[in-house]
Amino acid sequence: MLTREGVVRLLADAGIEVVAQAEDAEGLLRQVRVTQPDAAVVDIRMPPSHTDEGLVATQQIRAEHPAIGVLLLSQYVEPSYAMRLLEEHPEGVGYLLKQRVFDGAVLVDALRRIADGETVVDPTIVARLVGRRRREDPLAELTEREREVLGLLAEGLSNRAIASRLYVTERTVEAHVKQIFLKLGLDVNPGSHRRVLAVLACLRGERLDEV
Amino acid sequence: MANARAATAAAVRPALLAAAALALAWAVVAIIAVDPEADPPTSYAAALPAARVADIAAGLGLILAGALAAAQPRSRRVGLLAMLAGSAWFGADLEGWQDGPSLLRSLGAAASPFTLALVLHFTLALPRGRLRSAAARTTTVAAYGIAAVVTLARALFRDPLLDLYCWRNCRDNSFLVDADPGIASALDDIWVWSALAIGLVLVGFGAHRLLTASGPGRRVLLPLVTPAVLVGATEAVYAVALLRTRLESPDAAGFAAIFLAQALSLALLAIGLAWTVVRVPRTGARVARLASDLGEAPPPGTLREALAAALGDPGVDVLYPRRGSHQLIDADGRPAELPARARAVARIARGERTLALVLHDPVLLDEPELERALGSAAKLSVENEALRAEALAQLHELSASRTRIVEAGDSARRGLERNLHDGAQQRLLALSYDLRLARAGAVADRDDELVAVLDTAADETATALDELRELAYGIYPAVLTEAGLAAALATLADGAPLPVELGHVTRVRQPPSVETTAYVTVAEAIGDAARRGASFAAVRVAREGGRLVIAVDDDGAPRSSRLLHVADRVGALAGTLHVGDTDLRAEMPCE
Repeated sequence: MLTREGVVRLLADAGIEVVAQAEDAEGLLRQVRVTQPDAAVVDIRMPPSHTDEGLVATQQIRAEHPAIGVLLLSQYVEPSYAMRLLEEHPEGVGYLLKQRVFDGAVLVDALRRIADGETVVDPTIVARLVGRRRREDPLAELTEREREVLGLLAEGLSNRAIASRLYVTERTVEAHVKQIFLKLGLDVNPGSHRRVLAVLACLRGERLDEV
Repeated sequence: MANARAATAAAVRPALLAAAALALAWAVVAIIAVDPEADPPTSYAAALPAARVADIAAGLGLILAGALAAAQPRSRRVGLLAMLAGSAWFGADLEGWQDGPSLLRSLGAAASPFTLALVLHFTLALPRGRLRSAAARTTTVAAYGIAAVVTLARALFRDPLLDLYCWRNCRDNSFLVDADPGIASALDDIWVWSALAIGLVLVGFGAHRLLTASGPGRRVLLPLVTPAVLVGATEAVYAVALLRTRLESPDAAGFAAIFLAQALSLALLAIGLAWTVVRVPRTGARVARLASDLGEAPPPGTLREALAAALGDPGVDVLYPRRGSHQLIDADGRPAELPARARAVARIARGERTLALVLHDPVLLDEPELERALGSAAKLSVENEALRAEALAQLHELSASRTRIVEAGDSARRGLERNLHDGAQQRLLALSYDLRLARAGAVADRDDELVAVLDTAADETATALDELRELAYGIYPAVLTEAGLAAALATLADGAPLPVELGHVTRVRQPPSVETTAYVTVAEAIGDAARRGASFAAVRVAREGGRLVIAVDDDGAPRSSRLLHVADRVGALAGTLHVGDTDLRAEMPCE
């Protein structure tokens, strides 16, 4: 409850119109159908069972309304959920830790990216996956800069966004990304929407088709 | 009890001998009464030599087989019924004894109609001679009642001299009070219809008994009920023949055939009874052998099988009462209940205390016989079995209690995690939101000092949230309930202090307690591997034939800890934990 009120106020302060609020997954789906918003912010735990209703509802919204982006909020860092989300709908979705969205700038930025069809993955998740202990570390091959790019890429940033974050040109980023994919042995098109999922899976030591 | 039984037997034997002697005398007179030279013949036996042989075989057979059965306490009642039926059967021959005393002719005529009622009673009362159901009692009483009323009325009102269709005894009636041919003819009609009804009831009931009896029950009933059904059928056919023509004659081929069939059916009944009486003591002998077998300490838990084999009743069950309660358990210590009916219960006791209840087919044995046959040596075996069952029952209770303790602990942890999630974490989130608002205000007021303080507070709150999140996750990983073992182990591997290679991990959901135990096992094994300086840990979780198998291998220093708390958890779910130097394998049932 507190989270929802806080998010609503933050969005209102940032000049983003909040067209509807809902208490549970059923209400959420109904409101989405009626109001057709640009994006929805969804808590992963909702009544009645307080488990993963939000995740299920998100997938349903994405399947029924491909134009509506969804930002899923969770109290836990759960890479499996982020990947499950991206698996079926690799664009227009985001997964963030709740505490992060109280930074209004982060929340607004995430919603704008999602509404634009990009993906948003919480930096904590990416940090945990990058920091995962491995017997044979493919990341050891990467340069410092390439690792930086990899992290931002895994967070769902576009090449342009990465470029502006690192103060380099978009073409430089493109070159880095190409190099990273080559070194990690990823056979996904570096420009495709599946690239975030491919990188996350690779970081987890999983093959994409098994995800 | 044995003394009482002996005393009863001593009192019964002379009475039985007297009854048998009387029945035999009656039979001899009836056999002599038949005059093959008589023309026209006054009985079926007189008309045809074959009919005479069948007639004697039926009546004498029933009396002898009945006497044999009556000598056994178990079959005394049915034996007496058979003796009576055989005697009543000879009534027709005595009725046709032209040169005999008038009283015997009249007595024979009075006895004859009871044959059918007695066969019905005999059949309904199998195997113990007791009528178990109200329907059986009503039917039997009705049959006797009709036979008695018709017989009495005939005796009072029927003068054979005035009977158009008379052929057995056309001379006199010793009991006659008032000759009334109208009443006599009506009585004949009533009796024919009654005989048809009783015959059909006998057929229907016998067929029903045979069809619904259990395996061993049917084996016992078959030689008795089948001939009884034939008797009923021939009686029904006889009644139908009489309805077509009242002109009954032993010279008519149809009537002669019916008589022959019925006499042979009764003879078969006598043979069946004799065979049954001879056969049952053989079961007793098998039980006696069983008793000696049991004296030689049979393998524990095999008493039921041994009894089933000895009694030829695969449905035999042995139940044991729990100490100090009325709860019954089977040989494996599982709670059991007495079936509502259809099984006989034999109680095996030592003094006042019931050691065991043997559930068997009611046709097989009487309770005291089984009890006696099991003998004192067998009682020791039964006592061992009962002790074993009691110990197993306590073991089941103990392991159920262990499982409940583990499940209660898991449930409490889940509740705690939920409370932290919905309570403390939400409050900290609200606090961090308020701090951001306050900071925004401070920035607007250009109060740099306050901004710095609020920044610190916000950082502290964020750290507290991080720590609380880790704590709540450590208490219970919510993803385990929500997404299952595979997702939870993947997250565990993400944050593990050493490389964790997840091999095959089943994606099939397991019962919550199994998933939690599997998670704890892997988590503890990984932590243990890290403590022993391993460079990696390899994890596999697979379902193998109703069991969940968890294997964790690493390359650390040899283990010194036996991971007892993991063993306890796995054991509580009836699983096993093998802990090697650098390998660990847990197995638990998951269905």
